[in-house]
Amino acid sequence: MRFGAKQVVDGLSFDVVRGETFGFLGSNGSGKTTTIRALLGIYRPTSGTLEINGKVFSDDFGARLGYLPEERGLYKKESVRDVMGYFGRLKGMSKAAANDFCRQFLDRVDLADKAELRVDKLSGGEQQKIQLGVTIMNEPELLILDEPTKGFDPVNRRLLMDIIEERKQAGATVMMVTHQMEEVERLCDRIILLKDGRAEAYGTIDEVQNQFGGRTIRLKYSGMIPQSPKYQVTLQETNYAELALEDSVDESDVLRDLVLAGVVVRGFVAAKRSLDDIFMQVYGEAPGAEHGSSGPVHSRPGRGRAA
Amino acid sequence: MARHNLRTVVQFEFIRTIKKRRFWIATLAIPVLLGIVFGLVFASSSSTQSRSEAQKNQTLPFTYTDASGLVDPKLATAMGGAPEQDPGTAVERVKEGKLNAWFSFPASLKAEPVRVYGADQGIFKNGTYDAVAKQLMVLSAQEKVGSAELTAAVQGNFSTESQTFKDGQVSGGLETVVPPLLFLVLFYVVIILLANQMLASTLEEKENRVTEMILTTLNPTTLVVGKVISLFLVGAVQALVFASPMLLGYVFFREQLALPDFDLSHLQFQFLPMLVGALLFVGGFILFTGVLVGIGAVMPTAKDASAVFAPVMIMMFIPFYIVSMVVSDPGSLIVQIFTYFPFTAPITAMLRNAFGSLSGVSAAIVIAELFVFGILALRVAVHLFRYGSIEYSRKLSLRAAFAKKT
Repeated sequence: MRFGAKQVVDGLSFDVVRGETFGFLGSNGSGKTTTIRALLGIYRPTSGTLEINGKVFSDDFGARLGYLPEERGLYKKESVRDVMGYFGRLKGMSKAAANDFCRQFLDRVDLADKAELRVDKLSGGEQQKIQLGVTIMNEPELLILDEPTKGFDPVNRRLLMDIIEERKQAGATVMMVTHQMEEVERLCDRIILLKDGRAEAYGTIDEVQNQFGGRTIRLKYSGMIPQSPKYQVTLQETNYAELALEDSVDESDVLRDLVLAGVVVRGFVAAKRSLDDIFMQVYGEAPGAEHGSSGPVHSRPGRGRAA
Repeated sequence: MARHNLRTVVQFEFIRTIKKRRFWIATLAIPVLLGIVFGLVFASSSSTQSRSEAQKNQTLPFTYTDASGLVDPKLATAMGGAPEQDPGTAVERVKEGKLNAWFSFPASLKAEPVRVYGADQGIFKNGTYDAVAKQLMVLSAQEKVGSAELTAAVQGNFSTESQTFKDGQVSGGLETVVPPLLFLVLFYVVIILLANQMLASTLEEKENRVTEMILTTLNPTTLVVGKVISLFLVGAVQALVFASPMLLGYVFFREQLALPDFDLSHLQFQFLPMLVGALLFVGGFILFTGVLVGIGAVMPTAKDASAVFAPVMIMMFIPFYIVSMVVSDPGSLIVQIFTYFPFTAPITAMLRNAFGSLSGVSAAIVIAELFVFGILALRVAVHLFRYGSIEYSRKLSLRAAFAKKT
């Protein structure tokens, strides 16, 4: 995928299996949104193909697809009910079914009293909820969510995650772009990490964690952590640190070394490396530090498939 | 599904437009203004009528001298006149206000004017003196001729009914010109009323950032065509609202509103010119719609779009600068160019069609050209919308939009 002279996505290949939740991770400009737009026929790929159920996207998919784009927007001068009704009808619902869905959804997201209000009279977060409602109308088989929790407060973020979880339980395939590793760990079966248009990692969360060298120690302590060839300090805060262990090192050796060095250990948990760590290693920044997207991926050249 | 979506788009776009208070304020403003103007015309017409009724029964006091010998003294007396006893001082007496008016009829009406002197009654009423003097002479002359028929003949007060033939068929005059010209009027009304809405139709999706959701839900062609159809329906509603006060005024208050009496029964609706007019109308509508929707898809905001919109509208009006040539010299180079240049073609060809100077071959070429360019423009507009409208806040690069691959 190329914009002018710039190669935005390069040799990317991945599959999304029916019924799974697939995470698209990457920093700004890494090619996530571009890939999704190409998958949905909004951009035309320079080479390669992107398919849904073995076919290139066409308008026929519209009724079975729920897409929450990165650029949020609705018809702002119309009422919530009219907008939801319109999209419901376009997705093949009857007028009555669209109205029923609208009523139930607004009830659930505490906006029942705002059905007749114009969209631009709602707050940003409320508009997001309406857009999510529009996305999941008519029980789509494939949900593509580009940073679904962007702009949500923690309460509404939890609500959103529940809704995605429900769609997943109902058998829908979910593809989501996110910077929230908590969301990834809770929801995603598999992930792909994109950097500069190429895939840096691709697989289940376990596979990706293994790929980036497995183990971390989460340490609650007081004192000074000594330098050691057995580990690297990847995170250090007041009385808390994370240590990335070298491959052959045993966790109990590290604990003994710390105690011998005079460190008072109050908590010691051996775990696989967190996705946050991996993100930091790949992009050199915390996952939430950047917003927006458009970038690249990689793995096997020129193919992407969903569901 | 496509038909269902088209119906849904048309319904949504039409209903949300006519539900807006702003739409009705704008739409009703013209009939309300017309109503006010009609009301004023009605009121002033009634007062003029009653004033002229009152004036009919009034006589204008005047004196006269008649060197021609044509004035009938009885008629003069009936109109308030009396022979002048002292012509030498008559003008002075008028000046001093002692005499209202004095008319001096010369020996030869052909060689000299009738001299009329009167006391000033204001710029509009001063004409009464001339009118009375002239009327006195006309009535006196009629009296002398003694034949109403002869008088009508001399005055040219009679009508003619003519028939001309072309290719063995009756070729009408203005009666045949007017019906095909109705398409021209309709074209103007539709484009002028709807142009801005056509321009803004896809801008809304861009400005509201709703394009991606729309593009993944329905075919952009369905969306654009649905919008065009709904705009047409909106235009029809507006045209009805605009036309209704005029129709009501014409049917029920024509005399009071001083509207001309059109005898519509004389209009001749000839099949071929009407068919050509209708096809030119539809072709022109598709062409302008496609272009305006395309402009809307390229430009990021309504303000940016309006800068490009102006030249398109100017091209539509340009043929009226050469309308006399279109009628009198349709073979001239400029008329030929305007006939075939797509943006000036609808108006020029509709004019020539109405005046009978558009040959069958030319009509076929122009109609084909309008449909081809119109459908092409619509396809380009859809393409620009599909691949350009997610350039939300930027002007679309046409090169990028038309590149084979992104």
